[in-house]
Amino acid sequence: MKDLTVSSSEQITSDLLPQPFGRRGMIWTGTLILICIIGAFAYYRQLRYGLVVTHMRDYVSWGIYISNFVFFVAISLVGSLITAIFRLANVKWSTPLTRIAEIIAVSAIVFASLIIIVDMGRPERFLNLFLHGRVQSPIVWDVIVISTYFCISLLLLYFPLLPDLKILLRFKEKTGNALNKLYRFQGSFWTGTKEQFRISDKSINILCIVIIPVAFCIHTVTSWLFATTYRPGWDSTNFGAYFISGAFLVGAGAVVVAMYVFRRAYKLEKYITELHFEKMGRIVVLLALVYVYFNVNEYLVPAFKMKKPEEAHLVELFAGEYAPMFWFAILVGMVLPIFILLFKKGRKPLPVFIAGIMVVVGAWFKRYLIVTPTLLHPFLPMQNVPDSYRHYFPSWEEWAIAIGSLAGALLVITFFARIYPIIPIHETITEQHEKAEIE
Amino acid sequence: MSCTCGENNCNKNSRRDFLLAGLAATTALAGCGDGKNPFAPEQPVALTGEKVKLLSVNGEVIEIDRAFLKPVPDMPHLSNAEERRGIPGKKFVMVIDLARCKNLRKCQDACNHMHQVHPGQNWIKVLSMEDADHTAPYWEPTTCMHCDEPPCVKVCPVDATFKRQDGIVLIDSDRCIGCRFCMAACPYSTRVFNWDEPVLTDAVAAQPYSCETSMPQKKGTVGKCDFCPDMTRKGELPHCVSACPNGVFMFGDMIEDSVTNGAETFRFSDLIKDKAGYRLMEDLGTKPSVYYLPPVNRNFPYESGLENEKTTDAHTHSK
Amino acid sequence: MKKLRLNKYLFLAFTFLLLQQLQVAAQSDSTPAKKIIKLHYFNVNNSMQYLLLESTLKRGKVFSPQQRKAYALYLDSSTAGNLIAQLLTDENGKAKAFVPIALKAAWDATPQHTFILKEGDDEVISDYSISKAKISLDTANTDGARSIVVSVMKMDKGQWQPAKDVEMKIGVERQGSILSAGDAATYTTDSSGTVSAEYKKDKLPGDGSGNIILVAKAEDNDVFGNLVIEKKVAWGVVTKVNTTFFDQRTLWSTRFRTPYWLLLMAYSIVIGVWGAIIYLVVQLVKIKKLSKEPNALP
Repeated sequence: MKDLTVSSSEQITSDLLPQPFGRRGMIWTGTLILICIIGAFAYYRQLRYGLVVTHMRDYVSWGIYISNFVFFVAISLVGSLITAIFRLANVKWSTPLTRIAEIIAVSAIVFASLIIIVDMGRPERFLNLFLHGRVQSPIVWDVIVISTYFCISLLLLYFPLLPDLKILLRFKEKTGNALNKLYRFQGSFWTGTKEQFRISDKSINILCIVIIPVAFCIHTVTSWLFATTYRPGWDSTNFGAYFISGAFLVGAGAVVVAMYVFRRAYKLEKYITELHFEKMGRIVVLLALVYVYFNVNEYLVPAFKMKKPEEAHLVELFAGEYAPMFWFAILVGMVLPIFILLFKKGRKPLPVFIAGIMVVVGAWFKRYLIVTPTLLHPFLPMQNVPDSYRHYFPSWEEWAIAIGSLAGALLVITFFARIYPIIPIHETITEQHEKAEIE
Repeated sequence: MSCTCGENNCNKNSRRDFLLAGLAATTALAGCGDGKNPFAPEQPVALTGEKVKLLSVNGEVIEIDRAFLKPVPDMPHLSNAEERRGIPGKKFVMVIDLARCKNLRKCQDACNHMHQVHPGQNWIKVLSMEDADHTAPYWEPTTCMHCDEPPCVKVCPVDATFKRQDGIVLIDSDRCIGCRFCMAACPYSTRVFNWDEPVLTDAVAAQPYSCETSMPQKKGTVGKCDFCPDMTRKGELPHCVSACPNGVFMFGDMIEDSVTNGAETFRFSDLIKDKAGYRLMEDLGTKPSVYYLPPVNRNFPYESGLENEKTTDAHTHSK
Repeated sequence: MKKLRLNKYLFLAFTFLLLQQLQVAAQSDSTPAKKIIKLHYFNVNNSMQYLLLESTLKRGKVFSPQQRKAYALYLDSSTAGNLIAQLLTDENGKAKAFVPIALKAAWDATPQHTFILKEGDDEVISDYSISKAKISLDTANTDGARSIVVSVMKMDKGQWQPAKDVEMKIGVERQGSILSAGDAATYTTDSSGTVSAEYKKDKLPGDGSGNIILVAKAEDNDVFGNLVIEKKVAWGVVTKVNTTFFDQRTLWSTRFRTPYWLLLMAYSIVIGVWGAIIYLVVQLVKIKKLSKEPNALP
């Protein structure tokens, strides 16, 4: 028995060590870097010529930068869901997913901050937010909660990483000199004593408790960027809960996609098993049903009343110019995944992966629908402006920067998986031991 | 600077200079020990300290400060803090008489010209409005409402837009970070954004920036109607008020209870009561400072305004 | 033959183009520009006097001020000894001139004077004549009904005579304008040179002591130019400068006047959460310290 456990832990370790990129990994990374470079060039053009290179104008003054921002903030909530809530609830099967969720969260929140700086007309005055910040402004609230959430997520990534760093330090030949230096710098002080573990476990517990209200705050405050205005489609008391339920859904979808990709790329079938897909599939169904509930509240209730400012906006969403996108987001982003995942056959890895992609893509378009159509229905008619002010379709620079930011987020996740074990080694070993002892 | 005003305006100009001269004279006389003039503009003229002797009507010798030798004396330089505080004891208000508007767009031309607004954008919008299917269409000029509960000021993260004690809401283009939250928050869609490098004359581009003149505009910041506080400090009227040949815009001080379009002056409280003045989107609770007089007993039929309409606007009439 | 025909066509084409150019050039200058130069004389409170020059160019319907144009203003005759001032218009096309002390003798000599404006060697204005006038403003209170009595006098044969048919605005000085005292827009003096305006603006807001300024002004009168007189009276309602609206703590105030409830909420949340974060960083430091202890075993 004992021999089995010893070889098991060696087996686990060698399975979970970060692996260098294969050919596919190189192509993937290379493509992402190329997209990022194009995005950076587009941003250079924007800095040089001003925001006129976008197609945002006086009426649609917020475009896909802002909808991308909301999308990123939404995805970043997954850290609190998978890592924090599942840890606190002692959900054992979630252990392999915690680091994936956490790095998605950290990466998303970093790019949320970057894309919001890109949207600013005067990014060099960013410090004004801290020197002259008004506590009455929802943007200042957003800055506070985003920086807080970023710090907590980093800590929640770092603490469980410490035991793994100690394991990684043993494999200098496999990881290479440079990475070894990095591991040494980050975690050489971890020796794995009982006292250290005690402090670490307590800290992780505190983090898990603290991150949940902060995560709720982050997306509620982001929703208040819209709900504190008078505009039709935004002037809704439903927005906080609506955004949070959407965030949980898209976060779960993102984790499912990442699970599948890492499982295939690093051959982790033993650790991310079909059970995980079964469980995550059920969770995605639950979250999608909750999100559908909030969507019904958000759209059916104003549609019943058809107040004048909202009438044109709602008609445009249901049957007008934005109808294809709206129904796509609803059906592909929510309804179809529910149907796929309700059935046991649908909760196998591949169908769950497809459902996850549908959720994420549907969610991106949903965020676009929240931001732009409302701005095309101001209270006073759109007159005395050039024709281009009455429509909005993002320019190539905007697409380049938005897709570049998505590529950048994926790049951060990719590099993280290259450097650190994407599944916590130490916790997996501990769990195997516990299982063996029980048996 | 070309002014596209009608002949009337040049007379109005001279009348204002006249009044300014009167105010200046009293201030000058005050300097001679006549007692402080309580209604002099809060900021006195920038006195040079150098006295000049001149002949009075009666052949006597009187002394005035050299600053009054200019047709429009220089005003003293204001600090940013003073520009943010505003003129105490005043509450500026505007009354727009919809019965007189003919969509001539002289207000728009004057404002755009004097503030060097980017071509294509307008701080004043003259909208073709029709409230419901069977109600009459009319022309409605809209400026910034300078609300007493301004949603734009509430959401600004850096105090770049602020409400002053004289009721005016201004923008500090040196502070603005270009987040455009104020544009999303304003229900009157009155704010414009400098997407591009502003098109400025050399003279204006060389000026130091002042919140009160809102010039020179800066790329990547927000702009809007500012009720021309630089003009009101000098005792003059905002450019749109003087430019309108039909006297549509009336500007004044609610505390003084008086508004004027240059030619006619009314008691504000009487005017609003007699002509049933109202404010736009009252139920949103923004408490705007711009009152409208309903389009009753019109001076011109609505159709006479269509000649000035741009074809792009014709497709977007409200309702 | 062919060459001749080609040359003919070239010649026609050339002439055609030339004519077009001329037409275009002619069109841009076809609207004649008219110079509009005006002089206004001002008599303020029977004391200060000055002249205001306005120089504009009218092309079609567009008026543009003539900036930095030099003019010379003379009193009665355009000789060097009668020069009032050398004027240079500002960016609004305006210039101001005061009568210098040097011309006191000429000024006192007659009650009527002519102002002559020269641009270079041309006399642009030669017939702007002004008679000296005296304007006075008094208040009257008969049975509670207030009125303003304005009288205008002109100098005639060494004596002050009443000036009739002088049209003027009489009222209260307000922001950028004059609020008429009664119902009429203007008032005109009668044969005795006086006019009385009933003061009907009850309970008009005044300054901190209840003062208002009564103004009477005659605008661009043919004989007298512009006359204005002011008088401060205590007919207004006392209005104190009230800054409570501006000083209150609200959501739209500056960051220095944030409402207390918001400050409390924001700071307690931030202190609470960041307190936890700092505590956790301290724990990290603790972990680090533990590794240096002698009995730290893996």
